[in-house]
Amino acid sequence: MPGRTFLRSKSVVWAGGSLLLLLSAAALYVMTGAASSEPSRARQAGAGDVAFGPEHARLVVIEYSDFQCEFCARYAPILATLRKTYADRVHFVFRFFPLNNHRYAMIAAQAAYAAFLQDEFWEMHDLLYEHQKEWSESADPRSSFDTYAESLGLDIDRFHSDMDAQTTTEFIRRQLVEGTQAGVTRTPWFVIGDSAVFPRGTDEFKSLIDAAL
Amino acid sequence: MPGSRRDEQWRRDERLRPHQRRLPVFLLGASYVGFVISLYLTLVHYRGYIAPCHVVHGCEVVQTSRYSVILGIPVALAGAVFFTLMFYLGIGLLTRPGLRLVRAYKLLAYAGALAVIPLFLLQAVVLRAFCSYCLATEVMMLAMWGASFALTSPRQMAEAREGDAPPER
Repeated sequence: MPGRTFLRSKSVVWAGGSLLLLLSAAALYVMTGAASSEPSRARQAGAGDVAFGPEHARLVVIEYSDFQCEFCARYAPILATLRKTYADRVHFVFRFFPLNNHRYAMIAAQAAYAAFLQDEFWEMHDLLYEHQKEWSESADPRSSFDTYAESLGLDIDRFHSDMDAQTTTEFIRRQLVEGTQAGVTRTPWFVIGDSAVFPRGTDEFKSLIDAAL
Repeated sequence: MPGSRRDEQWRRDERLRPHQRRLPVFLLGASYVGFVISLYLTLVHYRGYIAPCHVVHGCEVVQTSRYSVILGIPVALAGAVFFTLMFYLGIGLLTRPGLRLVRAYKLLAYAGALAVIPLFLLQAVVLRAFCSYCLATEVMMLAMWGASFALTSPRQMAEAREGDAPPER
């Protein structure tokens, strides 16, 4: 009977459409669960790394970062909080990953490394992110970096020579190449234990660290 | 021998312009794509991570901005609900188009298109960053809105058929 046939085909379309949405939702649920982290190929923490926290801590958290990256600047206070919270349990490693499209990323990294050589890396790190907009938009960021170095009581002559030393640029480029080979494609890029993770904020970060500890 | 009512209906529909037959299918497809992207962003939001960016830069900025959640509800979730509704309306248009359904679809398509404006401006002007997923859903919404102009009601279709019908001998 034509009426019944018509009714059946409508039902098939409605049922088929609903099934399509449900199956898609299920597939997305599974996919997003798997994608919340991925195995990391990053080199494990070593002696030459810029780091904070106990060397033989159970857990290592690695950050690949670019000082001129706005989103890295947003994460800087989160990482500062995490370093305070997990100071005795987690080894935090910072790796330089200056992106080509950021004009002053490399020189900012050089300034941070020069401060590292005078044991003031994290202080310079915080200053660079805190004043990122100011020096990023400046015609001469070096003068800003000098101001930060002076405020930290660094030996300015040594600061300048370390900034421009070939060993400094080689160190940074080596970390950039290693990061690229390890699969780092954007900044900031985080590795907790053996997994590359993309946490949205402090709470998510803490959950991941607590789960890994 | 006279054909069945369904056969007659199909013969008449054969005389519809091609876009009038394909339009509901296009609308279904666009709303499905919008649903998948919105649901993906919703799940990523609740799982606590950020969907990586492709094509454009700024996904992280947009997805973690305070504008990504309105009144406690992720904008992506509202998008997923919206596209689900449009999907079912699209099925309705495909299986049993009626004047009320066509009107409801056009109204919602307008509402969706209007919602795209502030969402796009927030990215372009306030955040100065774009999320490729958000842009994709906005394109789907605008495509559905544009296509909805071509939606015709059964009465309009009947009038068109009468206009095309050969004169009686």
